[in-house]
Amino acid sequence: MRLSGLRPIALVLTREVMITVLLLLGVSFVVFVILYLAPGDPFSMLVEGQVQSEEARAGAREALGFSQSWYSQYFSWVTQMLQGDFGTSIRTGLPVASELVFVGFNTLILTIGSMLVTLLIAVPIALYSSVRGTTALSWPLTMFAYVVSALPVFWLGYIVIYIFMHRFGLFPLMTSSSRGFSWLYALLPIVVLGVGNGTISEVIRSLRDEMGRVMSEDYIRTARAKGASVWKHSFKEGFLIPVTEIIAAKIPFILGGAVIVEQVFNWPGMGRMAWQAAQDRDFPVIMGIAMLAAVFVRMGSMFQRVVYVMVNPRASKE
Amino acid sequence: MKNAPLLKIEDLRTYFYSRSKQAFIRSVDGVNLEIRRGETLGVVGESGSGKSITALSVLGLISGGPGVIAGKILFGSNGEQKDLLDGLEGYVKIGREQNRIMQVSKDVLGWERRSDEVMRTIRGGEIAMIFQNPKASLNPFTPVGKQITEAIRLHTKITDAQEAAERAIYWLKRVKIDSPALRFDNYPFGLSGGMCQRAMIAMALACEPALLIADEPTTGLDATIQSKIVDLLAELKSELGTTTMLISHDISVISRLSDSVVVMYGGTVVEYGPVRDILTASISSKHPYTSALLASIPGEEHVRDKVALQAIEGDVLDTINIPAGCRFYARCNRVTPKIRENCERREPDLREIAPGHRARCWLYFD
Ligand SMILES: Nc1ncnc2c1ncn2[C@@H]1O[C@H](COP(=O)(O)OP(=O)(O)O)[C@@H](O)[C@H]1O
Ligand code: SF4
Ligand SMILES: [Mg+2]
Repeated sequence: MRLSGLRPIALVLTREVMITVLLLLGVSFVVFVILYLAPGDPFSMLVEGQVQSEEARAGAREALGFSQSWYSQYFSWVTQMLQGDFGTSIRTGLPVASELVFVGFNTLILTIGSMLVTLLIAVPIALYSSVRGTTALSWPLTMFAYVVSALPVFWLGYIVIYIFMHRFGLFPLMTSSSRGFSWLYALLPIVVLGVGNGTISEVIRSLRDEMGRVMSEDYIRTARAKGASVWKHSFKEGFLIPVTEIIAAKIPFILGGAVIVEQVFNWPGMGRMAWQAAQDRDFPVIMGIAMLAAVFVRMGSMFQRVVYVMVNPRASKE
Repeated sequence: MKNAPLLKIEDLRTYFYSRSKQAFIRSVDGVNLEIRRGETLGVVGESGSGKSITALSVLGLISGGPGVIAGKILFGSNGEQKDLLDGLEGYVKIGREQNRIMQVSKDVLGWERRSDEVMRTIRGGEIAMIFQNPKASLNPFTPVGKQITEAIRLHTKITDAQEAAERAIYWLKRVKIDSPALRFDNYPFGLSGGMCQRAMIAMALACEPALLIADEPTTGLDATIQSKIVDLLAELKSELGTTTMLISHDISVISRLSDSVVVMYGGTVVEYGPVRDILTASISSKHPYTSALLASIPGEEHVRDKVALQAIEGDVLDTINIPAGCRFYARCNRVTPKIRENCERREPDLREIAPGHRARCWLYFD
């Protein structure tokens, strides 16, 4: 790629980063207000039945920073966050930032891995039926994909655990300690989320339609007429653009699925952490995870925009 | 072999099956024509007469829908004559019930695989094609220079990228694109329609094909651009002498560039001969459809005196329910009482009415 091609990418990235910053501020504010208004605070959850006197309660509140007005609490949270400090978990007392890196990484593996599984299943079916039209085979394949996409992910998870672990004893059951990470064990939740995140049928549909549409474009006829590869010429518009678009659009769904899969498989990711934090009313952790989830969603969209600009010569003019 | 035509089409039939009507759309229904080496054959006829489908059949580019292709397309390549439809008939099965076609099944993949096998060295290399709507015909995601380079590397001895790029720039210059080295890096959207067509022509000719098929190369462009493209084609014709099949519904384009002319109507050839016999209005012994086509051209007197154009009356032939007699009968104004019965009942064949001049009309048969 020539250097002139980098300028539009830089422009897009700048724009996307700015949008992300604004979005993070917005999300953090909304989440903060909801947490503030919701009944129960981490303090009462923590100290319930332990601290008796009013005085001691007030002291503890003070120490945890819950005595200030809500907006000064929010303001100090934002200032600290901008310096990379997400506070400490009320439950564990550990810094939230380092926890986020750990769970974020694990969830990233789960998400990307499951997306690959989805594509691995959906792409061949989509390409097959876009090229071949409706054939004896494309119908059952598509049906299969729709049925699979309709299975609830938690159900799929439990079935898989039951079959693989209890019946065949294939994978070591994970204990509550999150160490002892084996890639074999990691594969199961990735496959379950990839199959059960409900996006297979949508990826097939969008890819098949786009590919079919592109295949009837005049420039594909030209490619055939000149003896060039039809795949090569249809790749960008018929494959790359729709695939990145659908990935970007589906990341929120996949993250939602990840929360469930992480519960079922005891996967030390942000979904499981969020679940725990919500029960504990662990405000700093909830806030941190909300930020991380928003960043993930934005990363998907950024990825899509960059690919689009790299691929589409017109995009830089738009 | 030297004198054998480069391309000889024998009784070509390209049908599409309409599921809803349970009938064939007979887009090309028995076409015979030949193109001699070095000549330009003009193919003219109203829209829908089967010109494009004939051309696409030659390149094996009809894949959509259950198309049925029959006949022979003999192409003289490398000293041997090859039937481009060889072995394709086995991939289509037609189910009949009481003389009605109930279903058509086509092994599309097998058909395409066979066609690709036969056409591998032909598409782009021996037969190149340019299309109507050049802007959409170039890949919008790739710079034009790269598209030409790709064709050069596929079909000429040049495989080195740098050398191929230089060759592509040479061809961009040859088709009169200004600052070709700069245009090389342009994407189609940055070029005008006329420039895209020049680039398409460059891409087609860069592979030095034995046959160039130009399907409506000027249609859809602005009038001034059209005449410039025609000028370019005329110039390239005299310089390179590439054998060309030129398709157009525009008679002025055809008469300027062609040596011989085929007039198509309703999926068949109705007249065939040297351009001067066919497209000269003063010569009266020609097919009534050709006469009507010539009368419908906006000649100078029309423009000057604002005389209303004499469009051909009636509708283009319904290619599903083909009449038993002459396909042009419903619109013909030259039927005489003597031949009426023939015109109505029996389809005339394509017969020589003067040396090298064939027509499909009862008027000329005794
Ligand atoms: N894929 C297709 N399916 C059905 N009918 C078709 C298809 N392609 C072309 N036809 C029909 O074939 C006829 C001839 O088309 P064409 O060769 O494109 O005409 P033209 O002489 O204008 O180039 C038209 O009536 C058109 O409707
Ligand atoms: S055969 Fe008869 S109907 Fe047909 S063009 Fe000739 S005169 Fe007209
Ligand atoms: Mg046409």
